[in-house]
Amino acid sequence: MRTRRRLRAVCVAVLCVIFVVGLFAGTVSPYSYSKQFRERPNAAPSSSHLLGTDSLGRDLFARLIYGTRVSLLLAPAAALLATLIAGLLGGFAGFMGGWCEKLILSAADLSMALPLLFVLLALRAVLPLDIPPILSVIATFILLGLLGWPSSLRVVWAATKNLKNSDFLLLARATGCTRWRMIARHVLPNLRPILLAQFWISIPVFVLTEATLSMLGLGVTEPLPSWGNLLRGLEDISGVSANPWRLSPLILLVLVVICFQLILPAQEETA
Amino acid sequence: MLAVLCFAGGLLSASLVRLAPGYGVDERELDPRLSQASMEAIRNAHRVNSNLLSYYGRYLARAIRGDLGSSEWLQQPISSLFKERFPVTAKSVASGVLLAWGIALAISLANVLFPGFFVEISGTLVSGLFIVLPAAVVAIFSVYLHAPVFLAIAVVTFPKLFRYLRNLLGHAYSQPYVLAAQARGIGQARILFHHVLPLVSPALFALLGVSLSLAFGAAIPIEALCDSPGVGQLAWQAALNRDLPLIVNLTLLITLITVAANSLANVANERAL
Repeated sequence: MRTRRRLRAVCVAVLCVIFVVGLFAGTVSPYSYSKQFRERPNAAPSSSHLLGTDSLGRDLFARLIYGTRVSLLLAPAAALLATLIAGLLGGFAGFMGGWCEKLILSAADLSMALPLLFVLLALRAVLPLDIPPILSVIATFILLGLLGWPSSLRVVWAATKNLKNSDFLLLARATGCTRWRMIARHVLPNLRPILLAQFWISIPVFVLTEATLSMLGLGVTEPLPSWGNLLRGLEDISGVSANPWRLSPLILLVLVVICFQLILPAQEETA
Repeated sequence: MLAVLCFAGGLLSASLVRLAPGYGVDERELDPRLSQASMEAIRNAHRVNSNLLSYYGRYLARAIRGDLGSSEWLQQPISSLFKERFPVTAKSVASGVLLAWGIALAISLANVLFPGFFVEISGTLVSGLFIVLPAAVVAIFSVYLHAPVFLAIAVVTFPKLFRYLRNLLGHAYSQPYVLAAQARGIGQARILFHHVLPLVSPALFALLGVSLSLAFGAAIPIEALCDSPGVGQLAWQAALNRDLPLIVNLTLLITLITVAANSLANVANERAL
């Protein structure tokens, strides 16, 4: 138990460091993510380019840090959106019951039956492919947030349903507590750990989905970097075997997802 | 559920196609060889579809007859494209899901029946390693290693299945009547088939549907990057070419297949009970 707690502390520390570096990418990185060194394409790591350069002569370290900012700031934003939708709808369904509950649960079941990537592709295809990079980032993560709520909703709904039938809420109702006061003072504080757990669970899922979408050319568009479009460098096998440092985005992504996976049980336990 | 999905999915599909930017723009209008009358005929053909509800009505009527319209990019009927590509994906997905289930069940059972540090850590490590890799990265590795598409689908599906299966079987094996059966010296196979599987079968059937949905989702990046001519690759190409009728109808058809598989699994489960 103690080892596990230490491991979680290490994971939190690693995530904090990566998050802070991503947040202050402009200060940490010596160059802009789009600055080209045309005389040095595919350069090996050196003191001026810590991870070398890509085929267009852009500094890989700078792109990795800026990509971290995009992926690690927007995945939590999408997770927050998904958790908010799940919290509102799941809480409402669990608390109100009746036809509202049936309608919301049916919508969630229906959404869960949809293959997520197919729906993402269909919705992304509605938008033009040549939208500005910033808009592509926002569109990608809003789509993830809007489609990622159904599984969390089921959990929130079940927890709310349990709370609704609990003794302390019965007592609150018997003492004349109004519905809104019950929601604000009793239901929401008890749902907080569950919502928090769902939020943490969603982040690595969205990071991985963004990576897959961007690798397929349907996520964050160039020249803005994200872990997904940096991973497109792996498609060139000869390039990777000659320049193994091109694996750095994959290593960073795997490290972050592992850290999230390892700190997740702590959240589940609190839930 | 299937009927509601058909209706809602159809309406959503038609709305997406109809409301997408660029709908009704016809390249033929730029052809200087066409006469004014031909131009007017093209515009009239598009004007018929200007009302969303009437467009949906026509879409539904055609869909009932098996006509899902034509791909704007490939200029071919969507139904024939689907018939051509679906067997490739179905084969990969079926083999991948079967393999993933086999491995996940074997490791989960080993975890439960032979508890020990090595067995537990190896299962956790293997599933943990695969779960942190995006499906597209798995696809690239399978290209490097010349691995078949179904293997990549199995690698993506396995870790999620394993986590559920291990928990389900662990819970079932900790039930008092299973412990009592073990104490009486009943064979492991009998305990598994007579006491554990009946208990976990509803969850297993539900998981079967979920694993199909996961595998179809994984098929997109894997087929796209491994150059496998299936529905996943077609959906990706349709998205890149903004062929909305094709991508939306493919999504609808795949969804119907996964929901039908879920419903079949539910029916089979009810019969088994």
